[in-house]
This record gives sequence, structure tokens and C-alpha cells, in this order.
Amino acid sequence: MTETIIAVKALSKNYRVPVRSEGLVSSLKSLFHPSYSQVKAVEDLNFEIGVGEMVGLIGPNGAGKTTTLKMLSGLLYPTTGEVRVAGYVPWERRPEYLRKISIVLGNKSQMLWDIPAMDSFRVLSEIYLVPEKEFRRTLDDLIDLLEMKDLLTKPVRNLSLGERMKCELTASLLYRPALLFLDEPTLGLDVSMQLRLRQFLKEYNRRNEVTVILTSHYMADVQALCPRVILIHHGKLLYDGALDGLARHLAPFKLIKITLDQKNGKTFLNFNQPDDKVEILEHEENKYVMRVEREQVPSLTSRLLQSNSVTDLSIEDPPIEAVMDQIYTGGAA
Amino acid sequence: MRLLRLISEFIKVSFQEESAYRVNFAISLLTSLLTVGSAALSISVVFGQIDHVQGWTYASTMVVLGVYLIMNALRSLFINPGLESLAGMDGEVWSGRFDFSLLRPLDTQFMITFRKWRLFSLIDLFFGVLVTGIAIYRMEAAVSIGQILLFCLMICSGLAILYAILLLFSSLVFWSPGVMFTWVFNGLFQLARYPLSMYPGWLRFILTWIVPVGIITTFPAQVLNGELSMKTLFFGIGLAVGMVILASCFFRRALKHYASASS
Amino acid sequence: MKHPGWALMRGFWLSWLQYRSFLFILAFGWMIPPLIYMLVWMMVAGSQGIAGFSQGEFAAYYLVLILVNQITYAQTNWTVGDMIRVGEMNRILMRPIAPVYDPLASEIACKIIYLFFDVPLVIVLALILKPEFHIGFTEAALFIPALLAAWALRFLWGYWLALLAFWATKADALLVLQDTLVFLLGGQVAPIMLLPDWMRGLAEMLPFRYMVAFPVEILTGQISGTAILNGFLMQAGWLTLAYILTMVLWKNGVRRYGAVGG
Repeated sequence: MTETIIAVKALSKNYRVPVRSEGLVSSLKSLFHPSYSQVKAVEDLNFEIGVGEMVGLIGPNGAGKTTTLKMLSGLLYPTTGEVRVAGYVPWERRPEYLRKISIVLGNKSQMLWDIPAMDSFRVLSEIYLVPEKEFRRTLDDLIDLLEMKDLLTKPVRNLSLGERMKCELTASLLYRPALLFLDEPTLGLDVSMQLRLRQFLKEYNRRNEVTVILTSHYMADVQALCPRVILIHHGKLLYDGALDGLARHLAPFKLIKITLDQKNGKTFLNFNQPDDKVEILEHEENKYVMRVEREQVPSLTSRLLQSNSVTDLSIEDPPIEAVMDQIYTGGAA
Repeated sequence: MRLLRLISEFIKVSFQEESAYRVNFAISLLTSLLTVGSAALSISVVFGQIDHVQGWTYASTMVVLGVYLIMNALRSLFINPGLESLAGMDGEVWSGRFDFSLLRPLDTQFMITFRKWRLFSLIDLFFGVLVTGIAIYRMEAAVSIGQILLFCLMICSGLAILYAILLLFSSLVFWSPGVMFTWVFNGLFQLARYPLSMYPGWLRFILTWIVPVGIITTFPAQVLNGELSMKTLFFGIGLAVGMVILASCFFRRALKHYASASS
Repeated sequence: MKHPGWALMRGFWLSWLQYRSFLFILAFGWMIPPLIYMLVWMMVAGSQGIAGFSQGEFAAYYLVLILVNQITYAQTNWTVGDMIRVGEMNRILMRPIAPVYDPLASEIACKIIYLFFDVPLVIVLALILKPEFHIGFTEAALFIPALLAAWALRFLWGYWLALLAFWATKADALLVLQDTLVFLLGGQVAPIMLLPDWMRGLAEMLPFRYMVAFPVEILTGQISGTAILNGFLMQAGWLTLAYILTMVLWKNGVRRYGAVGG
């Protein structure tokens, strides 16, 4: 494995949430003697990430993704546990550390709204101590990659959402950070824009060996970019490994797609064995999609083939979205 | 040196932002004139009835007004825009954009203090200095160079006190909708346009010891009157230094709080 | 049938109630300038008084003025310009009720909320400052119509200025000018009688005194007889002019608004 850039050990974060009560008297009381309840946002996370990796941080809303991302970037203090990012403790927020990382938040902008993007970039280059020459070179590279030459001179407020995201990315890469945190970068973008951004990130990662941590609600983002995913659910690490293995690891079932020969007339799906755990997900004329427990797949398939004339049959892992949905809604695992 | 470069960069960008809004120069000039004119006129109305009140003459009261205008101008030149972009109604703490600021490799307090400028306030500053100058001239007292220097020193410490108070109030935004405190303070600060001794004892006490807005404008004017004792002078400077340190510590605590509680 | 204006007012009342702490702070801010001049004049008057005013009379004058100023201050005028610029006007024009009811209802609703803040505070100040009131029945009876007319005048005067936003984007600056003139000539800096001659002359001619100071002068017994009658006449005259201007500007403005498309 390559050199480690992020090391997370036994990381936990509890929030103290004030308990507010209804009514004037009790709300006055809570003004002087507030009562709190502890909420465990993140519990005992352990993982390491190597230089140049692209890792997807996934999980349902409120799972603790953003909390984790904020602790990794240095915006939040953990309750317990240790984090080293590029050799620094993130929440000390040392300037040398901050020049190594960058964060893009899909729903928030770091650009100055009323002036052309170029001017925002210039201020940032001053803040990050980028020498003029290097600034020029980096900017030219990014402009090429993102095809955004025309955008630089327009006030940011006049740009479209996608164009703005290009500016956000440029702003966050101007000082060539070693580590890029992306929180929902494709939020609200149209499909072709999403595609272009993914291409860019992939290309940029390949060229510059920048490490990327991505959270996204679009599994397509994660599938396109991240060979490795970390799944967090209820604040706990549920899965850390290759994206391909996620479905196998988490979903104890497969999908059987079957098309029956209609000319043969009779269809006969015999599932009525007592221990059959089969669920028909879709049924359209002679086509069926069914969910079958993993260990039952061989026996069921042979039974289906025996009792019907089948024109087509395939066995697949369920689509990643379906697996995620199952986990998120509290089903499997 | 680097910090000065940054400040000049911030000023440049603020100027661009301002011109993007096409804030009308004529309108700004008009509002400034109205402010100065009505303030000066109102003092002359009072002194149309009486020669001096509690040892303050028309001219020396006008110095207090001049200092008040200067303080207000400097405040809206950079302190207010900066702190409002942090804690105001549409500020970064509300919108969540503060996360970006927190991750900049710069001292956060330095950045929020100096990053936004409202250059139209230079008009107000000009009028403030003008009023002060005319008033000093009208005082017809021999004002020494030393006094002028001390006067400037007291203006600086007054500004520091003002800054500290505003930073304290703005820091409250990390706990609650703290803008309210700033607005209440703005109301109280209007009282600083007259010398402290124009107010009844209980109010003078409040304006000296609890919300020291009186000190901010009265002390500098008293230097020119020759009424400010060495003891009070050192007290003023000490207070300024102490309050800036206190406010900075509090701001750091507020950042810690933000980083441990926000989500 | 109930007038739909009531429903509008209830709506505003409820939404303003949400922002009451915000409104209280605004009210606090507006209270400060008259408060400053009250304290300054009381200090100037000292124990023997000045220009016929005793300390207690200054206190009485300014305490009433604080309330009158609050009641007559037309806060909504500031939003008219914004509404025209942002295009919000369209929504209001679509309502089956005369558009002027919108600011009017908002005005009345937030006024009531202000008074919840102001009245207790003025009572506390009165306990500290010991004002001298000598209010008779006539003064009180004349005060009410003068106050209502003052409010109508201040509201309509600001409203026609704000309507200029149909033509010029910076019409708000005129509202700043109005506020300044009310401050100087409306009895806030000093009771009109204490102003230097040239200012007093202006104050008596221009509408601003009749927006604030006039009812206060009646209630505190500073003016009587023909002076009161003259005051009412001036109020009526300026009010008529403001009304005509408002109507003319509104009609032409809306036509222009429709033509330009907001």
C-alpha cells in the first residue's frame, strides 16, 4: 500500500443537544438550567487512507458523514479518538496544514458573489501564499481542464449553477492541495454537468495524485470516481472496502431475471417449498425479476429451469442503489 | 508586511464589490451631509439657549460630536462590514459559509476584522475630521502639539474599545442570534454624541462602567480641554488594551464552541 | 360583511408578532434620539429652568413625544421602494383589495406591538424623571384628532416619496431626508419654541412639525387658541396635498409599472 495520508483511530463525536421544553415557565427554567441530552453522531471509527486514493464516504442522511468530514478537515473537535491528516491534527488548524487541504461544499459558495471569479481567485492566492508564477500556471491548467475561460470575467452571481461549481473547484485547487474534501459536489447539477465534473475529478486525481474524499447522495458519483467506499450508518462504520464488494458484503440476496417462452403457454413458477424466501419484484407478461437469498440461488435456478421453458435467465447482484436503500431504511445487515 | 498586502487586497476587492452595487456617490454624499448637518445644527440649537453646560462650551461639545462622527465613520469603514459579514442577518455563521473562513490559513480574527471595507465611509470620515478641526479652532484655546498627539492616541484607544465591544457582541452569534445585542448597543452608542457630563448621574455611571460608550468620545475631547488627568489617560489606554485582549479571548472561545457544537 | 382589511391586519399582526424582539429593538433605537435631547435639555434647564421650561416640563414634553413619534413613524414606507423594485408589487396588485391597505394594515399591526414595549418603558422613565403634566380635558380631547392627523400625514407624506421608486431607484434617499427634517423641525431636537427664529419659521410652514410636535404641544399645553386652530389648518392642508400627490403618483406609477413590466 502507498503512504498513508489520513489515519483515523477510535474516532467518536457526541453532540450535546439542549432539550427544550414547551411553555413559557419551563423554557425560562431551561434558560438558566439547560438540560442536555447526548447524541452520538459518530462512534468508534477506524480507517486509513493512502496518498492519491479516491474514497467515497457514503451513508444515509444523518449517518455521520458530514460530521466525519468536518472532523477530518478540522472544522470540528472530536469527543474522543485520534486523527492524523498529512501528519497534522486537523482541528489545531495550523496554517501549514490548512494549505494542504481544501474543501468544496456543494450547497455553499466560497466565491465573492458580486465580482468576477478572477478577483476571488486572486485574493485566495494571496491568502494561500501562492507565488504569482505558480498561480498563473495552476490557473491556466484548471481553466483548460474545466473549459472555463469565458467565466473568469463575469460576476459570479450571473453564472449558472454548473459554472459556479467549476469556479468553486478552481478556487479550492488553486494552491494545489494534497487533499480534497468534496461534500455533495454535484448537488443540483444537470446530468451532463455531473458527468463532466466526474471526468474532471478523475483526470485531476490521475495527474496530480491528490487524495479525494467524496460524499454524495448520487451513487453514480461514487461509482464513477471511488474504487473504495466507507459506509457509515448510525455513526458506525459498516463497510470499508472496494465498491464492487459492497453489494456482496451487505446484501444477502441476488436478483434472478428470467424470461419464459410464451409460445409454450404454461408458466409454472413453483416457489411453494416451505423454506423458499423469494420475492417477485417486477412482473411484466413473461418477464420476472425476483429477489432470492444467496444460498437458495442454485437450487431455485435449477428448479426454474426444470419446470419451465426458459428463453433467458440471468443472476445478478442487486443494483447498488437498492442495497443502499435496504440499509438506509433499516433492512439488511 | 504580508498582512498589509492582504489588507490592501481586501480593500481592492471590497471596492469592486461596492461598485458592483453601484452605490451612488451623490446619495452617499447627501446622507453624510444630512448626518453631519443635523448633528451640528442640533448642538447649535442647544447652545443657542445657553453658553455652557456642566463646563462644556459650544466648541468643546462640538469636538465630542466630531470624535463621535470619526468613530462612526471608522466603524462603518471596516469594523461593521467585517463583523456583519460574520454575524449579520445574512452572515457566514447563518449561511454556513463560515466553514470556509475557518479553514483559511490565516488568523480568523484578523480575517473577519479586515476583509470587508466600505469605502464610502471615507466621506463621513472627512466630515468628522472637518467638524473636529473647526471645533478645535473655535475653542480658541492654545492647543499644543503634544495635546494633539494625545488626542489621536485617545481616538485610537476609543476605537479599540469600540472594536472590542462589537467583537464581543458579534461572537455571541455562535451561541444565539447575537445581532440583537449589536443593535441594542447601536442605540446606546448614539448617546456618545454628547459629553458624558450632560447626562444624569445614573446614566453617566452606566456609560462609563457598564457599556463604556461615553469614554470612547468624551476622553479624547477632554484631552483638548486640558481636563483629562494623567490617571484617566492611562485608565483609558489600559481599558482599551484590556478590552481588546478580553474580546479576542472570547472570540477564540466562541470559535472553539462552534467547532465543538455545530453540525 | 367584514372588511378584508381586517384579515390583512390579522395576518400582519401574527407575522409581526413572530419578530417582536426585532421590533422591540427597533423601537428602542428610535427612542434614543428624543431621549438624548430630553436629558440634555433637562441638564440645560437645571433647577431654575430655561426659556420658560422647567426640568419637569421638558420631561413631560419628551415622554409624550417618544410615544407620538413611535405611533406616527411610518416604517412600511421603507419597504414600498423595495417592493416596486423586486416585483413584489405584482402580488399586491393582484389582490381584490386596494393596495394601500397593505402598508396600512402592516402599520397598524406593528404599532400595537411597539406600544407593548413603549408604554411600560415610558412609565418607568416617568417614575425616574418626575415629569410635570398639567393636562385638562380640552387638551386631551384635541390631542386625539391631532395625533391621528399627524400619523396620516407622516404616513402619506412618506408614501408618496416612496412611490417615486416607480421612476427613480434611489427614492429611499428622500425618506432619509424626511427623517432628518422631522428630527430637526418636528420638535425632537428641541420644542419648536426653543428653536432659533429662522428654524422656527421653517418649522411652522413645513409639514414636519405637524407630523410629531403639534399633538405633543397641544397635550402639554404649550399652545392654545388660535395657534391650535392654525395648526389644525396646516395639518389639513398638508394632508390634502399629500393625499393628492399619493393618488396621482400611484395612478401613473402603476400604469408605468404595467408598461415596463415591473
